[in-house]
Order: sequence, then structure tokens, then C-alpha cells
Amino acid sequence: MQSVIGGVVALAKGFATTLQFAFQKKPTVSYPNVKIQHAPRFHGLHELRRYDDGKERCIGCELCSIACPANAITVIGAENTPEDRRSPGERFAARYEIDELRCIFCGLCEEACPTDAIVLTPRFEMADYRRSSFIYSKDRLLVPQDAGKGTAPDERPNGIPSDLGSVIEQKSTVDIMAGYGATHRGEILKTERKGLAG
Amino acid sequence: MSARVDVKLVNLTIDGNPVRVPEGTLLVEAAKAVTTDIPVYCYHPKLGPAGLCRICLVDIEKAPKLQIACNTTVTEGMVVHTYGEKVDAGRKAVMEFLLLNHPLDCPICDKGGECDLQDYSMAYGASASRLADPKSSKPKAIDLGPTIVLDDERCIVCQRCSRFDEIITNERSLVVKDRGQRDVIATASGEPYRSNFSGNVTELCPVGALTSKTYRFKSRPWDNARTHTTCTQCSVGCALNVDERYGAITRTMSDEDDAVSDGWLCDRGRYNIAFYGDARRITTPMLRTPTGEFVQIGWDDAIERWAKHLRDAVASDGADSIAAIGGGRLLNEEILVLAQTMRALGVTHLDWRAGRQRQASPGAYGGTYVDLETADLVVAIGRPPSQTAPVLDLRIRKAVRNGARYVTVGSHPSDSFVVSSHLARVSDLAAHVESATRVAFVWDGIDAAVGAQAAELAESLAARGTHVSTFVASEQSNARGAEALGMSPQNGSADSDGIFAAARAGKLRVLSLLGVNPMLHHPLGASAIRDAIERTDFVVCTELFLTETAKLAHLVLPARAAFEKSGHVYDLAGDVLAVNAGHTAPEGTLADADMLVALAAELDVTIAAPDSLHAQASAAIVATATAFGDPKFARASDATSETIGSKGDARNGVRIAIAANIFSGGGSVYFDERLAALRPSPTATFARETAATLGVHAGDLVDLVAGERTLVGLVAIITDTAPSGVVTVIDGLPDAPANEFADGETVALANVRSAERALTAGAV
Ligand code: SF4
Ligand code: SF4
Ligand code: SF4
Ligand code: SF4
Ligand code: FES
Repeated sequence: MQSVIGGVVALAKGFATTLQFAFQKKPTVSYPNVKIQHAPRFHGLHELRRYDDGKERCIGCELCSIACPANAITVIGAENTPEDRRSPGERFAARYEIDELRCIFCGLCEEACPTDAIVLTPRFEMADYRRSSFIYSKDRLLVPQDAGKGTAPDERPNGIPSDLGSVIEQKSTVDIMAGYGATHRGEILKTERKGLAG
Repeated sequence: MSARVDVKLVNLTIDGNPVRVPEGTLLVEAAKAVTTDIPVYCYHPKLGPAGLCRICLVDIEKAPKLQIACNTTVTEGMVVHTYGEKVDAGRKAVMEFLLLNHPLDCPICDKGGECDLQDYSMAYGASASRLADPKSSKPKAIDLGPTIVLDDERCIVCQRCSRFDEIITNERSLVVKDRGQRDVIATASGEPYRSNFSGNVTELCPVGALTSKTYRFKSRPWDNARTHTTCTQCSVGCALNVDERYGAITRTMSDEDDAVSDGWLCDRGRYNIAFYGDARRITTPMLRTPTGEFVQIGWDDAIERWAKHLRDAVASDGADSIAAIGGGRLLNEEILVLAQTMRALGVTHLDWRAGRQRQASPGAYGGTYVDLETADLVVAIGRPPSQTAPVLDLRIRKAVRNGARYVTVGSHPSDSFVVSSHLARVSDLAAHVESATRVAFVWDGIDAAVGAQAAELAESLAARGTHVSTFVASEQSNARGAEALGMSPQNGSADSDGIFAAARAGKLRVLSLLGVNPMLHHPLGASAIRDAIERTDFVVCTELFLTETAKLAHLVLPARAAFEKSGHVYDLAGDVLAVNAGHTAPEGTLADADMLVALAAELDVTIAAPDSLHAQASAAIVATATAFGDPKFARASDATSETIGSKGDARNGVRIAIAANIFSGGGSVYFDERLAALRPSPTATFARETAATLGVHAGDLVDLVAGERTLVGLVAIITDTAPSGVVTVIDGLPDAPANEFADGETVALANVRSAERALTAGAV
């Protein structure tokens, strides 16, 4: 008898728990119609930036490639000529490729880059049907000549690039911006600007 | 040098370790014994101390200030500290000074990753600059010459480059121009920096100030997969590292090698690499159809046809109707398989002589490179080794630095920068050898009569107790191996002259040419060789490219080049050197050894097991060395060199001297797109008075004629070093093949067009 009563109580408790969630706010959103805000340091698809005058920032130095723990980056350098000047200085990247399937989005390439050329944007929608289409070369990585110069990691307002569509504010118990400012990199960025030129 | 003087040893303490070294040792060298690492920029073991950069500061007890280790000799009881606060502070100050105006170029600098300035900056430098004003800026990418680019901002004025050019090559063209803030590396004359050893300065430069045009921005040091191997572009056999990235050779670097190369490379060995990846390489066997075109066929088919023709020839006309020429550019193992396969068929007409060189063995007095550098008289006979075996010439220059005299004999103007006298004949040497105690003879292996005279002289000197060493220096990498390993005529069988004569008489059925281009190099001349090939039923040619000879063959087999196969070669001093594959061969090609093994299998003949070949090769050289200047190998048609160099009668014609050039040839250099600026153009060089007699001016276009044979459109050059009555032309140029002419024969000058007229004619 006792065991029957115990069973019913347990059952009631279980249903009650389930019932509770029915009245709570849903944590999921109906992606892709609704998108949530990323953490400011979210690491997504890469972008190769330009200078104000339109020249490529990348100098083909391969430091990103050697820094990459996943060995996802291939860079082959070449020499600028007066007729065909791609970047300031002598060297530019004749080939620049990232295998986004190998990439673990750690951001070490961005850290290594002496000219702030390669950055990780919060763009993450890269789905495709073929593996080969995940090898991004300069045609897709480099900001097009007429599309500005690309976003520096520290310049993104709330980490939201314009092409992400409607974004809803996510309530959070943590002030992420405050948390970011307290990091080492945040401290550095507050006091000085990084980069060799620009 | 021969008598060993007892050296006094000195005791000192370095970082607490007792060290015992010979008196006079530099502290920087003594410290190597206890493996402490003293940083250096300007010091280099082969260049000696200069005391320019001050990074090598060490603390010597009782000395009031820090001292430079590179220019301080050890003394008894010295107590040295190579690290510690005082030393680090001194080096930090030096680094700050060196980096004051050094650009932040490391990410785009070719040296970045293997740069001493970068490494010592990490080890000793300050992390931040105290410079408040902008750095001074200087020109970048200055074109120093056909091979080298200078970045003036990066130069730390260690003077390694200019000291190399002064001490090692003795060419003395690179200098530090201006002083202080405006100092810059340049040539004294203002002319482009041209040297056959220019690439070495890019390796010596401790920073990225000097870069090679062929390597600029090709890769970063850490990308390169490195293979240690041996250069096979000439008979020296320098130690060499091949760097490859994504299946393409990016650069070659020298390696420490006191026994052979002394740590240097010539520009031919260093820069002749682009042909490996050239699109014109042959990658499938090609068969000539009766209508004359080539069709591509499979390897099995190709080997079967080769074997069938050999078998049929043996069956119908006997083994005497078969001949093979090759070996001078093959590896020992390949030469052995070739000789064994052919001899198993009964073929005796085997020879490696496909060019002018007749002999490769230095005979009984064969010397080592150390014998050469310690000689007090060096005699170079024939073609100057600076153009046939360049790094050997650096040994000669070293000997001269040590006090030797250098005498050249023959008709060739020598471009070595250390020649003390130039003689016409070997017999003129008598006065020079009188006082010499260690004599080295370097012969080009071409004119056996002259070689024999030198051998006779060597013999008589040796009988008198003079130390004698002999060398045969040539551009063929392994002629010595070929001569020793059975690719030489034996017991009256025909040499290459005889083989081509038999072919022209229609007596040859099958001729196999392995890695040779007689159309361009054989002294019988292109028309005779063409005739010989056309009268032979089946000519097989293994080649990298469709050369003049390959174009005429019936079957062309795509071979592999030196960095694409492994094996061994002999250097000219008889050392066995390993060649290792450092480059992925193009698909469809095979090493000559693999083709020959397949051929032997198809023919069903037994040859030695491949893994025993190396041992066999090493034993064979001892057994079959021929004498230096063996008259057996003289060519009947050769003009005797006795007359070369004597004053010719310029009105009736001049004697032609056919000179070597390290960048001539119809194969690897000709098909190297990056060497265009280094390849010689067809020229005719005259002595000043000869040119005056003939009415030739510098820059004129001239033709040379002897009977039916002509050399057309040579640009006249006039120098003071050329022998009089002689016109010097360059051998082995596909655009003006000089092999129609015998070295030393009389030619007439025709059709002299002045430079201006030639220009106008061109414009019309
Ligand atoms: S984010 Fe990390 S893994 Fe991805 S490419 Fe950059 S360094 Fe490599
Ligand atoms: S992205 Fe930056 S680190 Fe990578 S090659 Fe270009 S400049 Fe160098
Ligand atoms: S160019 Fe290089 S080797 Fe020459 S002085 Fe300057 S730093 Fe030294
Ligand atoms: S001297 Fe000869 S072996 Fe040495 S690098 Fe030059 S070509 Fe090669
Ligand atoms: S290495 Fe000693 S002063 Fe330069």
C-alpha cells in the first residue's frame, strides 16, 4: 500500500516539474527567423581586411599559417611590382586559403597577424554540400574592393555584423562587456591601438 | 705545412670549465669546446675576425671592460665568463645600437625565422625601443646584380659579404660605400655585382639584407622540407641542401663540408633549379613514327621495343652492331647497371665521352682537396677550372691566399682572379717548378697530349721528392665514375669517335644515349652526329628535355634529374658522395637505373642485385684508374696544343679557343627560365692588338668560318687578358654550337658588322 502511495507522489512530482516548464520562457529561438546575439568575442568565419586606400592589409607573411594549431591556413607569398601593387611594402599573399572545416575557430591566426589583416567575424552560416567548398580562398575571404575595409575585432558594435538580420537581446545575468573589459586583451585595447600601420 | 710543428697548448677557464687549446686560438673558437654559445655577426670561421659588430662581448677577469671574443686570442690562465649580468647588459646595449634603425621587417623578410639578428634580439635585446623619433629609412630592394637584391635598411654593416668577396673569391667587387649613417654595400665600380659565387653572400649575411632573386618571397624557412645531398652539376660534388615546398624546389643551400666544398657553392649549383619543375620536361616515353612525328607510348611498350631492337641486332648482326654512350652524368649505380646489361649482351662499344673531355682519372698522383689548398704551386692546364669546376677554383684561390703561385697553361684567357702567370705550353713550366715543394696540376681532361706532358713533368718532380698531386676538373659530374665502372672502351673496342664513325658507315643497328647530348657537345660536330644518328636503325635517348640529340632519336625516355634519385657519385678527388632524392619527380619519369633494370629483366640477363651495387662501385674505382694524360685517349683529329697560344698570323685568320662557361649547356641551364640573365650569349673574345689587326671593335657582330662550317652572329668582346692571335668562343651554346670547330684550329673572320650597322640592320 505504502509503495503505491509513494509511486503516485513521485509521479505527481514528475508531472509537476514538466508542467512548470510549459509556463516558462522558451530558451530556444526560431532560427533562422530569429537570431540571438553572440558573445562579443564569438569566433566565426574569417575575413581579410583592407586599408583605407583599398590596399590589402595582408603581407603574405605566413605567421597566421604557422600559428594555426589546426594547420588550416595556406599562404604563398609573392613580390609586389610597381605596376601591380596589392599591399604596402614588398610582399603580398598571392594565395591565401583557409580550410574552414579544419579550423577550430581559436583565433590564434588573428592574434599572430602583425597587420590585423585576418580577423574572425561572428558569421557562422557556412553550410554547404561539398567539402571542397569549405576551402575559402582570397575571393571569398578578402573584403571586396567596394565593400569598405572590413571590421577590426575591436570595432564591432556588440559583436553584431550588419548581415546577421534581426537580433533579439538576450537577457543574461552576466554583463558580458564588463567581463570582456576585465580581460587582458580588453585592457590592452583600452589603452593602445595595435598594428604596424593604419 | 708538411712538417708538423709542435703547437704549444694554452690553459684557460671558460665559464668554470678548464679548456686546453693551441696557442693563438681565438676565444670564440676555444669556447666551442665547452659548447657555450657566443653570439656573432661579423665573425665567420672561414672569414676570420673583423671586430665590427661587438655582439660577441665576454667578460675576462682582470680586464677592465668587456672584450670581443672573436678577436681576442687565448692566453695562459685566462678566466672568461660568457654569460652573466655584466655580459648580458653589454650585449643588450649592442643590440639596441644595431636595432636603432633596423626596420620591423621580420614578417616579410626572407631571413625571418633563421635570422641571427632576430634570434639574438630575443635572447639579449630589450623588449621595447627607447627611440622617440622615427627610424631613418633607406632604399629597399636595390638591384645589386643579376642574382642578388640588397635591402639597405636591414644591413648591419658586418661586412661579411664584402670580406667574402675579398678574402674567399679575391674578386674584390663588393665594398662598403660611404660611411656612418649613409654606408651602403655596393660594387666599387658601380657596375652590377657579377660573380660565379654570388649566392654565398646571401647565406653569409646574418640578416635579410642580401636576398637571392630566385628565392625572394618563395617561402618562409620553416616551410622548407630539407634534404641533404650532393651537387651533380660538375665534378666537384659540393655538399648541398635542397629545400622543397609543395613539390617544388624553393632553394638550395650550402652545407658545412671541409673535405670537398669548404662550405661554398657556385651559382650554377645553387641557382640551376627551376628546370626541375619546367613544363617542357618530357614525362612519357615517345616513339618516332615513320613519318617523323613523336607519339606517346607506355613504359612497358617502350622497354619492350628497346629490348627487341637489342635482341634483333644481336641475332642478325652480332653485338658489334650495338653501342651505348653515357655515364658522365649518371650515378654510380646507374653506370654499373648500364655497363653490366650491355656487357651481358656481349656489347663492347661502351663509352662515356660525349663531349670534349677525354679523361677523368688523375692517375697515380690523384690528390685531395686539401693537397690542393696546401700546394705552393698550382698549375691549371687547359680550360680554367673557374668555369668547369668553380668551387675547385675557390680552393686554388685559398692556396694562393696561403702563399702559392698560380700558373695557367693553354690558350684560354683565365678569369680566375689570382693568376700569377699565363703560359702557352707545358714545357714553359720548367722555370716555375724549380723552387716548388708541393705542386698541384689541374687538367681539364681534354687534350691527352698536353695531359701526357704534364704527367711526365709530374713524374719527374715526384722522382725529385717534390710532393705532386693531380686533378682532372670538368663539368661532367661523374665522368670519373663512368671511366672506372665499365663505361670506357676496353681491349680495342670503339670509343665515342669510333662509335659515331661506325654509325656513319652504316654498321650500327642500335645506339643508346643515356643523359648525353653529343649534338651540342661532341667534338665531331653536329652535322657528323646527325648523320651518324640518321644512319642508325634505332637510337634510344634518355633525357629530361627534347634536346638537340633527343629530337633526332627514335625512342625518347623521360629520365629523372639528380635531386629526384638516390645513389652515389665520385667527386674528382675520388671520394664517394651520396646523392639523395629531395624532390618529387614528375609522374611518368623513371631514373635511368630503373629503366635499365627493367631492360635487363626484359632481356633476361642477370645483373648484380641493386643493393650490392654501391659496394661494387666503391671497389671498382681503385681497380681501374687510368693514368693522368693517358695518350691512349688522345683524339687523332685533335690539333696539338703546342701551337695554341703561339702568335697566330692575324691577317690570314685566328686560332679558335673554345672556352667553357658554367652557364652554358643545352639541358638544365637552357631550360631554366630563371637563369636567363646568367646564360652567356654567343660572343667572340679578342685580345686588344688582335682586334686592332683584324679591324674589330667591341660590340661588333662577327662570323667565324672554316671551310663549310660557320659560327654566325657573335658579339665581339675585347679584353687585355686574352692571348693574342686567338678568338675565344663559348662552348655548348644551343644558339651558336661551337662543337663544329676543333679547339685550336685556324678560322677566318667574316662579315664584320659594326655595332651601329648591326642595330640599323635589325631595325629595317
Ligand atoms: S581560428 Fe585557429 S584553427 Fe582557425 S584558422 Fe585561425 S588559427 Fe587556425
Ligand atoms: S593574414 Fe596576417 S599573419 Fe597571415 S599572412 Fe597575412 S599578414 Fe601574415
Ligand atoms: S649586406 Fe649583410 S653581410 Fe653585407 S654587410 Fe650588410 S649585413 Fe653584413
Ligand atoms: S662547384 Fe660544381 S659541385 Fe659545386 S656547386 Fe658548383 S656545380 Fe655544384
Ligand atoms: S662577432 Fe665579434 S665583433 Fe662581430
